[in-house]
Order: sequence, then C-alpha cells, then structure tokens
Amino acid sequence: MNKLKLFSTYFILSIATLVSLFPFLWMLISMTNKSVDVSNGRLLPGTHLIENLKSLFENYNVGSALYNSFFIAIVATILCLIVSSLAGYGFEIYRSKGKDIVFNILLLSLMIPFAALMVPLFRFFGGVSQTIPFLGINTLFAVILPYVTTAFFVFLFRQNTKMFTRELIEAGRIDGLSELGIFIHIYMPSMKNTFAAAGIISFMNNWNNFLWPLVILQSPDVQTIPLLISNLGSGYSPDFGIIYTAIVIGTIPTALVFFFLQKYFVEGMSGSVKG
Amino acid sequence: MKKWFLLFSTVLLIMALSACSSESGSNSGAEGNSNTDSITAWAWDPLFNVAALELAEKQYTQENKDFNLKIIENAQSDIVQKLNTGLSSGTMNGMPNIVLIEDYRAQSFLKSYPNAFYDMSDYINEEDFADYKIPPTSLGGKQYGVPFDTGVTGLYVRTDYLEEAGYTPEDLTNITWEEFIEIGKDITKKTGKKMISLNPNEPDHLRFMVQTAGEWFTGEDGTTANIGDNEAVKNAMRVYKEMLEEDIAHINTDWSSRIASFNSGEVVTVATGNWMTPSIKAEESQSGKWKVVPVPKLSVEGAKNASNLGGSSFYVLNIPGKEKAAEFLADTFGNDVELYQKLVSEIGAIGTYLPALEGEAFNQKDEFFGGQKVTTDFVNWMREIPRVNYGMHTYAAMDILTGELQNYRTGKKLEEVLNDAQKQAEAQLN
Amino acid sequence: MNLRVSKSLIGWIFILLATILISLFYFYPMLQAFILSFKSGMGASLQFVGLDNYIRLFNDPVALIAIRNTFIYLIFQVPLMIIIAMFFSVLLNSPNLKFKGFFRTAIFLPSVISLVAYSVIFKYLFSTDGLVNEFLLSISIISEPIEWLMDPFWAKVVIIIAITWRWTGYNMIFYLAGLQNVDHSVYEAARIDGANVVQQFFYITIPMLKPIILFTAITSTIGTLQLFDEPMNITMGGPGNETLTISQYIYNLSFEYTPDFGYAAAVSFIIVVLTVIFSIIQFKLGGERD
Repeated sequence: MNKLKLFSTYFILSIATLVSLFPFLWMLISMTNKSVDVSNGRLLPGTHLIENLKSLFENYNVGSALYNSFFIAIVATILCLIVSSLAGYGFEIYRSKGKDIVFNILLLSLMIPFAALMVPLFRFFGGVSQTIPFLGINTLFAVILPYVTTAFFVFLFRQNTKMFTRELIEAGRIDGLSELGIFIHIYMPSMKNTFAAAGIISFMNNWNNFLWPLVILQSPDVQTIPLLISNLGSGYSPDFGIIYTAIVIGTIPTALVFFFLQKYFVEGMSGSVKG
Repeated sequence: MKKWFLLFSTVLLIMALSACSSESGSNSGAEGNSNTDSITAWAWDPLFNVAALELAEKQYTQENKDFNLKIIENAQSDIVQKLNTGLSSGTMNGMPNIVLIEDYRAQSFLKSYPNAFYDMSDYINEEDFADYKIPPTSLGGKQYGVPFDTGVTGLYVRTDYLEEAGYTPEDLTNITWEEFIEIGKDITKKTGKKMISLNPNEPDHLRFMVQTAGEWFTGEDGTTANIGDNEAVKNAMRVYKEMLEEDIAHINTDWSSRIASFNSGEVVTVATGNWMTPSIKAEESQSGKWKVVPVPKLSVEGAKNASNLGGSSFYVLNIPGKEKAAEFLADTFGNDVELYQKLVSEIGAIGTYLPALEGEAFNQKDEFFGGQKVTTDFVNWMREIPRVNYGMHTYAAMDILTGELQNYRTGKKLEEVLNDAQKQAEAQLN
Repeated sequence: MNLRVSKSLIGWIFILLATILISLFYFYPMLQAFILSFKSGMGASLQFVGLDNYIRLFNDPVALIAIRNTFIYLIFQVPLMIIIAMFFSVLLNSPNLKFKGFFRTAIFLPSVISLVAYSVIFKYLFSTDGLVNEFLLSISIISEPIEWLMDPFWAKVVIIIAITWRWTGYNMIFYLAGLQNVDHSVYEAARIDGANVVQQFFYITIPMLKPIILFTAITSTIGTLQLFDEPMNITMGGPGNETLTISQYIYNLSFEYTPDFGYAAAVSFIIVVLTVIFSIIQFKLGGERD
C-alpha cells in the first residue's frame, strides 16, 4: 500500500517535471543551433553553441548587464526582506484597529496595474534627478526604490506571522530581550521558510522586471538582462540562436537561487512547539 | 541565527559600496544625454537602422572631428513606450537627441507632443525625398522627420515551385489579388505548398493592400474614420478572407513562425516589405530559387502594383543639442549621395533620398535571386508608391479591423462588418 | 498602561518604513493617476473632462469584452491553480521523498522562464499542426486538428493552460513554506485516530494553511485581473478581441494607439474597483477574525 503510494507520487512528479522542463530543454537545444534551424523548429542539438556564445559576448555587453541585474536583484531583495518582514511582524504581533486600517489601505496599492503608475512615477523621478542625481532617472537605484517594499511582501509576512507561535515572544520577553531582539533572535530564525520563499520571489521579480527598468534606464551601461534580451529581438531578422543563448544565461541565476533557498523549506521552530 | 543577520548586513554593505563606485560611472552616462557635446540616438535593428546610423557617423566625423554620436539600440515597441512615458511626463530628462519613428506612428507623436520635436524645414529639402514619405513626416507645413528607409513592398516568389506547377514569375507580375488567388489555388493543388503565410491576428497585409489603391483607414485629415464606404478596405478584407477560405494560406502565429514559413520552404510566395530580404537570404540553401516581382494590387480603380509596409524616419527632439543633431542628419541622410551608395552596398538599406537612387551600388545583380537586379527593381517600384496620409490612428484602426475580420470569417456579412468597424472607429478615434 | 502604550508605539515603528515607502512610490502616483482619469486628450495635451472617461468606458464595446474575458480567466484559472499548487506542495512535502530539491526546482522553474521563450513554445505547441494536436490525434481523442489559437473558445483555454503552467510552481512555494509550520505530531495523532490521507488533508492541512490560502487567492486574483503577458505574447488578444484583457487594453490605449493616458487611467481604476470587491469577498470567505 505504502509502496504503491510512493510509486504513484514519483510517477505524478515525473510527469509534472517533464511538462515543466520541456520548454527548458527546447531552450537548451536552441542555444546550440543556428538561427535558421531554430526558427524551423529543429529539435536536435546543433554545433553552433560556441558561435552563439561568441557573438553574444562580442557584440553585447553581457557582463555589465549581468552585473546590473545582480545588483538590482540582490539589493532590492535584501532591503525588501528587512522592511517587509518588520512590517508584516508589526501588523500582526502589535495588532490594533488603527494598524488594521493602515494595512488594508496598503493592500490597495497592489490593485492598480503598474502601467497606470508609470507616467506619474517617471515624472517623480524626473524631479528627483534635479536634486539627488544618483537616485534619479538612468540610475540603478531608481529601478530598485519602488520595489524595496511592496504591499505584496508585507501581506506575505503578515499571513505567515499568523502561524507563528506567540508563546515564544512571551518567553523572549521573560528572558529580557528587547522587542527588536525578539524579532531578530526568535522570529527571524523560526520563520526562515518564509524568508526563503519571499527571497526567491523578490529576487525573481526584480531579476525579470521589465517595464519599469525599460522606461527609467536609458544608457547601455545600466542595461539589465531582460532589456538586453528584448533588444536582441529588435531587428527585422533577429538571430534566434543568440536570443536563446541569452535567455538561458538569464534564467540560470534565478534557478540557482531557488535551488539553494528551497533547502530552507524545513520545519521551523514554531511548528514543534505548536499544540 | 545571528549568521543570517550578519550575512545580510555584510552583503548590503558590499553592495552599497560597489553601488557608489558604479554609480559614478553610470552617472557620467546620464549626464551625457543632456550634455551637448555628445548626441544620443535611439533606433532599432542592429543590422539595419543602427548600422545605417553608424555609417552616417563615420562619414560625418571625417569632416566634424569632435562630433560624437551615441547610438542606443532598443526594440521598436520599447522606444515607443519610453518616448511616450518620457514625453507625456513633461520631463525631457533622459530623452535622446535623435529618435527613429515608424511612419505609421509619426503623426501621432507629432500631434500628441506639439513642442517636443524640432522643425527640420530649414535643414532639408522635402522635395528631395520620395513623395509618399512626406505626409507622415510633416505637420502643419513644417517638415519634422528626415525620411529614411523605404518599406517598398514586393512579392518574393519561389521559382522552383512555380515551375513545378507550370508557371513563370512573369505570370505573377503586375497582377491583382484576385488573380493571385486563382493562380494560388492551382499551384497549391499541384505542389501541395501553400501560396502565402498569413497571421489573422496581425493582418499587416491589409495595410499595404489598401495603400496600393492610394487609400487609408482614415481620411485626408488623418483622424476621420474611413472604413464603411471605402472600396479599398472592402476589397482587401474580401481578398484576405478568401485566401484563408480557399486554403491557399499557411497560418503563422508570430514573427518567428512567419520567418520559418519561408525558410523551411512551406510557402510559394512572401508578400512584404523589402526589409525582409535578409531573412529570406538567411536560408542559403535556397539560393537561386527566389525572385521578386511587384506586389499584387487591389482591383480598385487607380490601384498600382506598388505599396509600402513599415519604413521609418529620423526625428530631432527639441532639447539642448538639437542644432547639432539637425546638422548631422541634414549633412548625412539629407544630403550625402555617397552615404546612400554605402547604405545599399554595405547593409542593403534602400533610402528614399531621390538624388541618390542610382549608381553602381543600385545596379548589382543578386545571385540569390537568380541574378535579378533586386535593388533597381525595388527603387523603381518605390517611385510608384501611392501617397497616403497614415494619420493618427493606424494601429487603433487595425485592431478594430482585426476584430471585425474575425467576425467576418465566422459568417458576418461584409457590409455589416465594415459598418460596425466604421461605427466603432468613430466612437474610438477622435 | 504605560507599557501598553509603548508597545503600541513600537508596533508603529515596525511598520513605519514600509508605510512611507509604499505611500511614496505607489499612493502618490496612484493619486495622480486618479486625477488623470478625469482628463482626456492626446499625449501631453490633456483637458479636464469630468466623468466622461467613465461614461465612455461603459459604452466602449472593446473595454466590455476585455472585462468579460478577464472575468472568465479569473473564474476558471484561480481555483484551478490553487488546487494544483496545494496538491504538489503536499506531495513535495512528503517526509520520505527522495530528490525533493530536484522536483521542487523543476516544478518551480516555469515561473522563472523568460516570456519570450515561453510564448514562442506555447504558440509552437498549440499551432494547428503542433505537437498537442498531433498527440491528441494519435490517441484518437479528436478526429481533426483543433485551431487552438484561432478559435475564440480554445484560445482562452490555451491562455488558461499557459498561466496555470507558469504560475503553479510560484504559488506552490508559499504552501511549501507554510506547510513547514504545521506540526507533524498533529498528523500522528490523526493517524492514530484512524484518519486517512484525504481526511488529514481536509481537516488538518487546509485549516492550518488558511492564512496562506487566503494570501494566494487574493494575490492570484490581483494577478489575473492585471493579466497582460500571456494574451499579449501568445494570442495578441486574438482571435479578434476574444482573449484581450483589461491590462492589455490599457497598454494599447497608452502605447499602441495615439496615447490617451486619461482614458487609460480610468480603465485602470475599473481594475482597482473589481479587485477591491473580490478581495473583500475573499477576506469574508476566509473568515479573517481575531
């Protein structure tokens, strides 16, 4: 019985893996083929990988784009984890009517499509450029700032805090920890699942972000990977082999971040105390 | 778990430090835009428009040693978004000095942002350029755009398939779309190959079909919808539907499958702009099997076997550096005959500057097209392109027609289709 | 008393930074967009028109079709995805499962994929002579190929399949993280009481995960109401306008056509209103109390 269950689990997971990975296989194959073969739908690996890599790196500043993308994704993710977890914790643990109202208002900010905010936001950063140029238009910080906190992550941390065992807080207070100390020494370690999940999502969102970097960044030296990929397709006769090479390179970091952070999806401290 | 916090703060610190150092680097780039010493240009397609700008810069700097052009490559849709966001926010911060805009969109930009573009009337002579390029690039008697490439259309044909079915390229020369369909049915029957590849979700063929008749989806003023009683639109819709119904059309769903349709040898003909040539030549094994003939016309009075698809022009933004940018464009694309020779011979771009449309480079035989003088032919057809005002709403009108085309295919009557499209356009376009 | 005041104050300090940042980068532009929604005109030349944009909206057949399509996606896609995501997260949380990391990464990967690659592949798979039709024909489920992308009904199905494919792994993460906070001893006790797997799932897992389910339901609703990528890249809103979404229409009004940012802003606020309504319903259904 148990064996059957395990077998069917593996079976279902293998099918799901196949369905999930098929496009990646296709991408990997395409990066080894010539453009013509890619558009003709060739499904066999070719011999063009080195050429594709060479012409990608020779003609485009992939290194700088990778640096910019990493910089944006890492800084935004770290700041986002700190600011959002503090807020999510604050809203749930120190719950009050006033804070609930503030929380509901914050959620409202998620409900408008970003395209509608772009023009006013651009004007705002145009103003910033006049006074604080290093935060203004055409800087990486202008890309990061709107994503340091979004209501999405505050909401995520708040919902997860609902599953956090409050007795631990009392225990911490008895041990003489400060309120911030409790957050750092008790809450953060026991919520590492949530931090890992939020870290993955934030990294991914910032890494793949397109619309906002597109309008706020102008010069090639601040270009990010998604912008570079978009430019690769800008021609009437795009080179699909090179495009897929860039796409694969652009996909690897997020996949790795996930793989390393998913290890933290293990039983947290709060679970073992809960009864 | 201090480890986590420690890790966070260390990484943060490192990033902050490296940010300071890198920011100083990128900042100089930001200043470059407003700095009048260097001129920035936005364009799409590295092998075509960007390459053309690079050639122009090379020519120009021979005489103007301290001129410095920074060309920034962006996809066309990206440029449209960046430009709209920037211009409508009112901050000219970060905008380029020179920008390439597709002719279909030009009027919309010129009218939406009245003071954003610099008048080029004093720098170039509009009569030097192909007639059909002038309505989209000028407004209120002022010439804003420097007309650049032509989107002259042609019908690329596979000679081997034609032969197999007992036809020659001459049989497809100067024909109407009705004749095209008749021949297509026969060829498809005999060879098993589809005659043409279409994407009903993006029926760009309708655009150049309608222009063969010198008509457009909006009237002379560029805003009034002109669909309901427009014989050309009616004719084009009917032809388009018939190609789908007679089963002579291969269906593509996007750019790459469109390119695949001819690279893989699935279709007999490709009707499109001359900028498709490099994509057709990309499949080297098909060398010698292609020819280009004039694009079919609509059977409407006055229609010509010549039309345009796409094509774009350069514009100067009204920001510091405008004079410098204007002089550069005037001295290169507005004047330099030699440059146009190089554009043809080095990147295969055909301009619309009339004094420079002949000479060595234009008379080359192309072995891929069986020795045909392709460029000469395209230039001759270009002179025939009917002059049309693309107006303000090309893409909005196209979306309305795309929606109605779907209804038409599923059984709605053509008169109703056009009337409904007209009504919808009148409500939407103003 | 003093202690309580100071604790409440500390609470405010915890949320202060997030509140300021969100106000600055979201509410300030949102307010401007709201003002914009009472103006109309091309590009930068806008005039105050009062409620005209909102009146125009309810008479605009394309906007109404976009709203209808978006609703269809919402109704089918959100429950479907949440159920599948929960199912996989429970499977992937099995204690004696090997290669967990690999399976988790594989199922998460679709949400990482570049939009370019993903849309090309979906169009390729679902083209009339594509692999999906070939497969269905070969096992005789259908007798002639389905025109997936050209048929109003099947095009919507493709969009729903595509979103589900892309976002299931993403939602799975939240469940996986949440499941770790569910105590195993509860399951032990249930097993001793004779509860089978299905009962355990419904009587332990779901109630425990309630805050997370609510979170994913609301964020997926928000995501679907703002759906843009898939119809834009896979069907271009076609055939006709049959897969067009509200967000895509906003994009067209702002960038594809001669820009009318005022009207585009008005359409955006329809999304806001719809999202608020759905969120309130979900909060109520989710039994948010205490």
